[in-house]
Amino acid sequence: MVASTAKLKVEDLKVAYGDKQVIHGISYEIPPNEIFGVIGPAQSGKTSMLRVINRTIDFTPNAKVSGKIEIDGEDAFRIKDVYGYRRRIGMVAPLPVGLPLTIYDNVAFAPRSFGMKDKGELDALVQKCLEQAALWDEVKDRLNSLGTKLSGGQQQRLTIARALSHQPEVLCLDEFSIAIDPVTTMKIEDVLKELRESMTIILVTNLVQQARRLAKRTMFLLNGELVEEGDTEKMFSGDADNPKTNEFVSGAFG
Amino acid sequence: MSEPVDNAKRFTKTPSVVRKERNEKIAQFVFLSMTLAMVLPLVLIVGFLVFKAWPSLSLDFIFDMPRNGMREGGIWPAFLGTLYLVIISLMIAAPIGVMAAVYLNEYAKDNWLTRTINLAVINLAGVPSIVHALFGLGAFVYAAKMGTSIIAASLTLAVMTLPVIIASTKEALSAVPMSFRQASWNMGVSRWQTIWRIVLPNSISGILTGIILQVSRAAGETAPIMFTGAVISVNIAKDQLFAYGLTDECMALAMHLYTISTQIPNVPESLQFAIAVALLGVVLMVNALSISLRVYLRTHRKW
Repeated sequence: MVASTAKLKVEDLKVAYGDKQVIHGISYEIPPNEIFGVIGPAQSGKTSMLRVINRTIDFTPNAKVSGKIEIDGEDAFRIKDVYGYRRRIGMVAPLPVGLPLTIYDNVAFAPRSFGMKDKGELDALVQKCLEQAALWDEVKDRLNSLGTKLSGGQQQRLTIARALSHQPEVLCLDEFSIAIDPVTTMKIEDVLKELRESMTIILVTNLVQQARRLAKRTMFLLNGELVEEGDTEKMFSGDADNPKTNEFVSGAFG
Repeated sequence: MSEPVDNAKRFTKTPSVVRKERNEKIAQFVFLSMTLAMVLPLVLIVGFLVFKAWPSLSLDFIFDMPRNGMREGGIWPAFLGTLYLVIISLMIAAPIGVMAAVYLNEYAKDNWLTRTINLAVINLAGVPSIVHALFGLGAFVYAAKMGTSIIAASLTLAVMTLPVIIASTKEALSAVPMSFRQASWNMGVSRWQTIWRIVLPNSISGILTGIILQVSRAAGETAPIMFTGAVISVNIAKDQLFAYGLTDECMALAMHLYTISTQIPNVPESLQFAIAVALLGVVLMVNALSISLRVYLRTHRKW
């Protein structure tokens, strides 16, 4: 693959919190409009990796990051407007976080914070994001009720709508389905398949089957090391290059 | 076919259930009686005060000047003086305290400087008020050449209440879940916007509660104002809300109560109790102001 076509390129990324090294140099590339799966047991550095990608790791005082991340060929660590950069990355956390605002304000929060004031424009954006997150039909009659009053699955879709509200180029989902039911999970998975048309998606998941259903390629992280990265079907069909991968996907550990 | 179940036997309480239910009742009773034990003295004190003060209580009592060597008449200068002191000291301490707490909780890195400041705040909160009084006397009255004045006394009260306001505000801020901040940062929202639009709206109740608690302290303390601004007697224009200037000396309810109880012979007993009731009234008044502000904020912004 030619480097210039990659949406996101990670080179020799290392992360340490104080003396504790959590990511030991990983490199990979994600082409645009692809769902990229990331699997691995707990403590394998998946969440830290996402926090580096959207640079919220800057808020952790003792974190040391080295290596390079390129977005559209541009060095992400050298981008001066860090807030503008974060808006290019959408982030969905494992547990749904409904901000204690109305449903409407939850989605309009980010656009307002960077200066969108026009009511009509905001209305259209809020509707679009909620529709994209497959939540619009359920909440369109009560946009002014509290976002925190929604059920867990609805709140997670609200979180996704919020992540879409700043129109990101890359959407990172960090184990989005651990707190929601299978039906909602399938709904969101359908949403992701559609979103793939317009953005690149990094799907961190503990559900091996979910990665298999959605991701074109998958990366397996273990204790902060990249064990294997490749075609999802190949990795999950039992003839992965690394025996550890076969063990993990077949449920022998993890 | 199985034997028909004997329902009476099936629902007989086992000894363990009986014991549990009894313990439950005892626990409820103990907690309820503790709650009542806390309310009872309050009711008794307020009732006793009002009962004893009844002969002197009237609206005139508040708006009248003291007469006949403070043995008769009202308490207007002291009432107004306490209002001035409480409101001015809060206007100084509340913004500084809240802003300092926001810095300490939201921005400050965990290093030796921050830890030292935190330690200092906690220790300052425990300093006796008479020490604050001496500090105020040295710093504001003499060094800053303010003389004994309302502004010097208010500043002294502000210094006294500041550490507690910082500590309680910090507590309220850290009660806001970290995940709210992270969700906001993830959307490219800056630290300050996150504080202004997420953290503060969610902690304003706790912040105001901390400030309200300091109102009664500022109103009730005699020591800090004794050397810095409060005097035994002063003449001001009657029926005027802005009778005092910032550099004037003033009377204060706590001080007034102390004076007529210990320094002046032949004061009718009901007068002392009436002053105590007025002091209680001032505290409740300022509290009511803060509480209505809290209610206003809560109903006008939905969170």
